[in-house]
Amino acid sequence: MKFSFTDDQRMFAEGLRDLLTNECPPSLVRHTWENGEGHSPALWTKLGEMGVLGLLVSEADGGMGSDAVDAVLLFQELGRAAAPGPVLEHMAVGAPLVASSHPGVVDGSSIVTVHIDESPYVAHAAVADLIVTRTGIRSGFSSTDAHGIDGARRIATVEGGSTAPLADSAPLETSFDLMALATAAYLIGLGERMIEIAAEYARQREQFGKPIGSFQAVKHLMSDALLKVEFAKAPTYRAAWSLANGESTASRDASMAKALASEAAYRASRSSMQVHGGIGYTWEADLQLFMKKAWALSRAYGDATWHRRRVSSHVLAS
Amino acid sequence: MDLRETASQSAFRAEARAWLAANVPSQPLASFDTEVGFAQHREWEKRLAGGRWSAVSWPEQYGGRGADYIHWLIFEEEYYRSGAPGRVNQNGIFLLGPTIMEVGTDDQKERFLPTMASSEIVWAQAWSEPNAGSDLAGIRSKATRDGDDWILNGQKIWASRAVWADWCFGIFRTDPSAERHRGLTFILCPLDLPGVTVRPIAQLDGDTGFAEIFFDDVRVPVENTLGGVDKGWHVAMATAGFERGVSLRSPARFTEAANRLLHLWRAYGDPSDTALADAVTDAWMQAEGYRLHTYQTVTGMLEGRPIGAEASLNKIFWSEMDVRIHEIALQILGPEAERMEGPFERWVDGFLFSLSGPIYAGTNEIQRNIIADRVLQLPKGM
Repeated sequence: MKFSFTDDQRMFAEGLRDLLTNECPPSLVRHTWENGEGHSPALWTKLGEMGVLGLLVSEADGGMGSDAVDAVLLFQELGRAAAPGPVLEHMAVGAPLVASSHPGVVDGSSIVTVHIDESPYVAHAAVADLIVTRTGIRSGFSSTDAHGIDGARRIATVEGGSTAPLADSAPLETSFDLMALATAAYLIGLGERMIEIAAEYARQREQFGKPIGSFQAVKHLMSDALLKVEFAKAPTYRAAWSLANGESTASRDASMAKALASEAAYRASRSSMQVHGGIGYTWEADLQLFMKKAWALSRAYGDATWHRRRVSSHVLAS
Repeated sequence: MDLRETASQSAFRAEARAWLAANVPSQPLASFDTEVGFAQHREWEKRLAGGRWSAVSWPEQYGGRGADYIHWLIFEEEYYRSGAPGRVNQNGIFLLGPTIMEVGTDDQKERFLPTMASSEIVWAQAWSEPNAGSDLAGIRSKATRDGDDWILNGQKIWASRAVWADWCFGIFRTDPSAERHRGLTFILCPLDLPGVTVRPIAQLDGDTGFAEIFFDDVRVPVENTLGGVDKGWHVAMATAGFERGVSLRSPARFTEAANRLLHLWRAYGDPSDTALADAVTDAWMQAEGYRLHTYQTVTGMLEGRPIGAEASLNKIFWSEMDVRIHEIALQILGPEAERMEGPFERWVDGFLFSLSGPIYAGTNEIQRNIIADRVLQLPKGM
């Protein structure tokens, strides 16, 4: 029993944090909103060079052959930066499934997104070359933007193209669980970052002659938000371990992670916005880049209620 | 990361399970907040100690097994799973014991730890005062030096187990000129000395689980000082860290309560009540989340990353979860939840007890302040 990450895993995550601090500041995320792309090719290239995009691709297919435990802290770091574009979909599910027939996904020169849930929309279809669907690998499609709330996660309806069967037919449920896990970890990163942004604001902003962070009403709001984020972490890391090791509880564990992380990130968004006061309700405040990502992802790949009921199906009956 | 048990951990689990199966009383004991129940629980503690199970994480020389934190968590899981009695000497074994090991002299370790492990001496905590609750640094009870003795005067309150306990560990002001958390000293005191008056207080459940303690010129030797004169705040905070962080409320009791809640739901829940079903699952997830979080914390401690102010997060989490588990149970029980006796007594009792959690060991509001100040680095103030 050893519930911790290796030094290598931590160092890789720190390296990614450094890269994102430099290459993915909020101004870059905002830029991808404002130019309508919802994606940064420059950042994408850097993530490909670092090996992040092909992390979960098998070594036989040219990837790093890592597992969900290796990846989970990276998903979290991507969330801290609100990294734009189809990074989760590509990393967690798309690239590992299609790399044998589309080797360009390993370094990111081909972009793959996923559509394996009930949503009528496909996230990131406008920037993707390929879509992993429940029936195979779709290509040659056209997309129509559906104006999602998160400008760095464009959703679209998709038409046309053709679908080729997947060479490696991993069970659909496992792909879905990996998507839920990756999203959960990303949501935790978002939650952490929103709380940090709000704490920084609360240290600076003065009312009644004092920083607002000195008031208990603000302290308690933020402590409660932090509590939910911190207690979503261990279940998320456990889900990563269960998936990496093919545990029989993997689906239950992924759902527990997604339910807790979705609620934690939502709570962090609400509390952080409240701490910002009027500024929190503006387009200019960078907080919105993180909040809207959290609102989109807390519903994507199953919302908290859906996942909690999936946990129920495992624990209430037996 | 490897969340499987090792062979030695599994063997330890099996050993604990077998011993408990053979030794846990078949009939529940009376509440340890009654005179009869207290005596029964002390006997149980002696039996546990006889099997060297009373303080598994302590060194062998003091009656423990030198078990690491992971083994301790495994023992706790087996303990609560077996339905074994509550721990009447928990304030000693889980709070004071580790503090003595950290700051005590060798002589104090020899003198106090073995009798604590065996519950020959049962300990009460004497920290709060009528005007020093959340504002613990406002302590006024005094210890005045007289030769080789301290003379204790003052009043403590909310001292759990003090009605029938043998000794207490208290914090007293030793430097009257010092303010707040300076000038306090941690002193160990027998409760049967001349000048000590213990006045029981009935708790919300009617039992006298805690008491006021009055000190009128009580004389104790200075060697009963723990951790140095005027160092009491530092020593107390070490204790509070253990208490809030890990040791006082291991995840096992909540995992066990959540499992009992699942059984209750299966037996009496209305499957068409999806809101209540969601709540039951949520309670299970909270307990499971706390278990996982604790394994992560103790792995970190074993790897040299000690727990700090995050301990306050744990305290809020487990205390609110405990209330929630019991609220949901009472909701499932409906009209039966009004009865203080009968087949569901344990849930109603448990609900009352759970309500103390957000208050004792530092109110949850104080914990939120600590998190805001030390983890979130928000400015001090009110």
